[in-house]
Amino acid sequence: MAKRRLKGGNVRVLDSLPMLIICIALVSALYFVCLARIASNNSMRYMIQIFLYITMAEMWNLLSGFTGMTSLGQQLYIGLAGYSVAVATTKLHLTLGLGLGIGVAISVVVALVMSLLLYRMEGMYFSVATWVVAEIFEKLFLNWKYVGQGSGMTIRIVPYPRIHEICVVALTVCVFAVATVYLLLRTKVGLGLTAMRDDIGAASAVGVNVFNHKLLVYAIAAAFTAIAAGIFLVNKGIVYPESGFSISWTVSLIFIVIVGGSGTVGGPIVGSVIYVFLQEYLARFPGWSNIILGTITILTILFLPKGIVGTLQEKLGFEIFSAKRFSYAKHR
Amino acid sequence: MSDTLLRIEDLHAGYGDFVAVDSASLEVKKGGIVALIGINGAGKTTLMNTVAGLHKPSSGKVYFKDEEITALSADRIVAKGLSLVPQGGRCFTRMSVQDNLLMGSFPKTARKNAKAMLARVYELFPDLEQMKQRPAGNLSGGQRQMVAIGRALMGSPECLIFDEISLGLSPVVINDIYRIIKRINKEENTSIILIEQDIRRALKTSDAFYVMLKGKVVLSGKSDEVDPETLKKAYFGI
Amino acid sequence: MYIAQILVNGILLGSVYALLGIGMTMIFGIVKLTNLAHGEFVVLGAYLSTVLAPLLGIDPILTLAITVPLMFILGFLLQYGLIGRAMKKGSEPALLVTFGLSIILQDGMLMIFSADARHIPVPYSKDTIKIGALEISVLHLVLFAISLIAILLLSLFLRNTYMGRAIRATADDADVAALSGVNINRVYAIAMGIAMASAAVAGLCVGMKWTYDPSVGGNYLLIAFVVVVIGGMGSVPGTLVAGILFGMAQVIGGASYGLLISYILLLLVLIFKPKGIFGK
Repeated sequence: MAKRRLKGGNVRVLDSLPMLIICIALVSALYFVCLARIASNNSMRYMIQIFLYITMAEMWNLLSGFTGMTSLGQQLYIGLAGYSVAVATTKLHLTLGLGLGIGVAISVVVALVMSLLLYRMEGMYFSVATWVVAEIFEKLFLNWKYVGQGSGMTIRIVPYPRIHEICVVALTVCVFAVATVYLLLRTKVGLGLTAMRDDIGAASAVGVNVFNHKLLVYAIAAAFTAIAAGIFLVNKGIVYPESGFSISWTVSLIFIVIVGGSGTVGGPIVGSVIYVFLQEYLARFPGWSNIILGTITILTILFLPKGIVGTLQEKLGFEIFSAKRFSYAKHR
Repeated sequence: MSDTLLRIEDLHAGYGDFVAVDSASLEVKKGGIVALIGINGAGKTTLMNTVAGLHKPSSGKVYFKDEEITALSADRIVAKGLSLVPQGGRCFTRMSVQDNLLMGSFPKTARKNAKAMLARVYELFPDLEQMKQRPAGNLSGGQRQMVAIGRALMGSPECLIFDEISLGLSPVVINDIYRIIKRINKEENTSIILIEQDIRRALKTSDAFYVMLKGKVVLSGKSDEVDPETLKKAYFGI
Repeated sequence: MYIAQILVNGILLGSVYALLGIGMTMIFGIVKLTNLAHGEFVVLGAYLSTVLAPLLGIDPILTLAITVPLMFILGFLLQYGLIGRAMKKGSEPALLVTFGLSIILQDGMLMIFSADARHIPVPYSKDTIKIGALEISVLHLVLFAISLIAILLLSLFLRNTYMGRAIRATADDADVAALSGVNINRVYAIAMGIAMASAAVAGLCVGMKWTYDPSVGGNYLLIAFVVVVIGGMGSVPGTLVAGILFGMAQVIGGASYGLLISYILLLLVLIFKPKGIFGK
């Protein structure tokens, strides 16, 4: 019906060699800043937050913006990872790396079990079911003596990782996450995912294995969210049920993705930077933070539905990280 | 006042980049029956959905009773007296037959006459009175079509559009329904537009006809003066 | 006798759970939207009654005369001005808008009313009536009466008025409803108004029975969701039965396991019968 055709008019920037070099240079510069300890501890604190929010938001975006699985329950993996790290390091005296690994493993296993459930659900059922499962885990951890019930656990690692070390790890995770999403979307899998988001019935009719695709994406999202959250909570030093399994994680991720640009790889990056600084600014107005974030999210949905990056791409006609394997241009 | 009830001027409509109606003009006289014929995908349904307000036109104008109704919402167009009976006898399947019919007198102007119109509909379709408490979802295709027609009648429309009313029905039922359409036209002086695939029946019933092809009106005239060869060429575009 | 006692308590409390579900199921069935702010609407209703009763010196139940119309108007405007606009962009944006609303309402109420637990006091909260060996709480009877009357009034409205029929018709086939002269956006707004009005009544009941604070909206949303899914979306009788089933689960499970039992029940229903026990 709709007449579209392939056209070379839309330039995909990362595919061009200069942009790739710029990206590599930028990442190298960030590594240098962390390793050489040029940045102050305070700015590194911001950087850690930005890197980890980018990671989690890219994953939420992969689920919602690219695949049509709007999860309201990513905090499930955040809590699981936080507790895994806490138990592994504090109770079992394992290394941090091992703790993170356990967190990722548990999250992936839970994600695989969850997928049995999510296999049957679409749209709002999926959204609410993911939230319900996170709530159930929160209730379980609230009543579990071993992990300190409601008061949670303090994370004790000897020696406690220094801030620039955490920063380097966070940056590495972030780079891997962005690269994974970018490469995943540009494979055949990515094409299937986009088809599923647009019309799940048609996608399965043309031979996209909907369940396998969903499972793959959901497990990847769980793994990266877990590792990012593990580092995040190590940086905080404490985890308790209401912080780990809190719906406010999802609030942040939704804000980041919607404002940055849902369905774009660049969106979560821009959104995370805005979010971290905005949150810092809003700390001056206690109580207003979520009200303002919620209002901005709603206004963005109504008046800038493609978010900042999506709108810029449309206006300027280029995409920094194009998820498409081909560029489409409207043809009249 | 002219004797033209509905006038469509150079209407364009489509979905996204796809143009479904590409310049269509059409006129319906007061009390007249107009047949709109054409092959599948010619744009007949889109044209009439646009007229009824279900679809927004990209350009062009629609006048009803010398008043512009282009791009008014469907509910306001119904209130003005122009009603569309959609394809396939679409009913509110979970509601009873009587509730379905009463939905037709939802516009404020129609509510006073609801009782009288209900009696009138039951007189035209005695079968429906027998099953007025049954859910419309349990009815046969022909009966649903009757409910859909009855629902449209409840609002005492001045112009009724029937979209492929005979689709999927048995010849006996089709005859019944056409007889009733003619009665409605005579007794209520309601103008009628018939979207129809069955060319012979459409011409036999109507006063005037329009042929659509690829979104354009390619031929029109009086139904009893049509030349079969010209019609065939216009219909298939050969 | 023990079983009879559970049965009675389950039915009495179940009506409140059904009322919680009614507003949700209407929006589900008619507007085809999951309203993630429904729990906060209920809590807002509870606060309004809590504040208005002593302010006006009237019985908490009488505050409904103010809260119901007020919440109706609020719901109407929210749908017309905000949610309806988001719906034009798709179902996911609309879902996220209601999510945003729930966050805003929750923290808004936190700032206005503080995090302190509140309760709507009534003189008969401890009274009981003995019927044979059964002991029935007067409060539960009052809650049962309020909920049942609200649900009954809503059913009558849906069954016997032009607007009620238009609402059912829109749920069935919005296009054909528009062709019958129904302004769909207005019907959506009225449905949201009714859902919020029902949340006002549910809020009163919830506030009379339990303590609450701004953060409990999520719990009530999930309860409403459980009831709706078990009952099959858009069905008033189904919701009533589901509410009573849920009530039984609460009475049997008690304060510590009741909610957990019903969450697991919900997941089981979602896995094995995704359209609800009573859904087609």
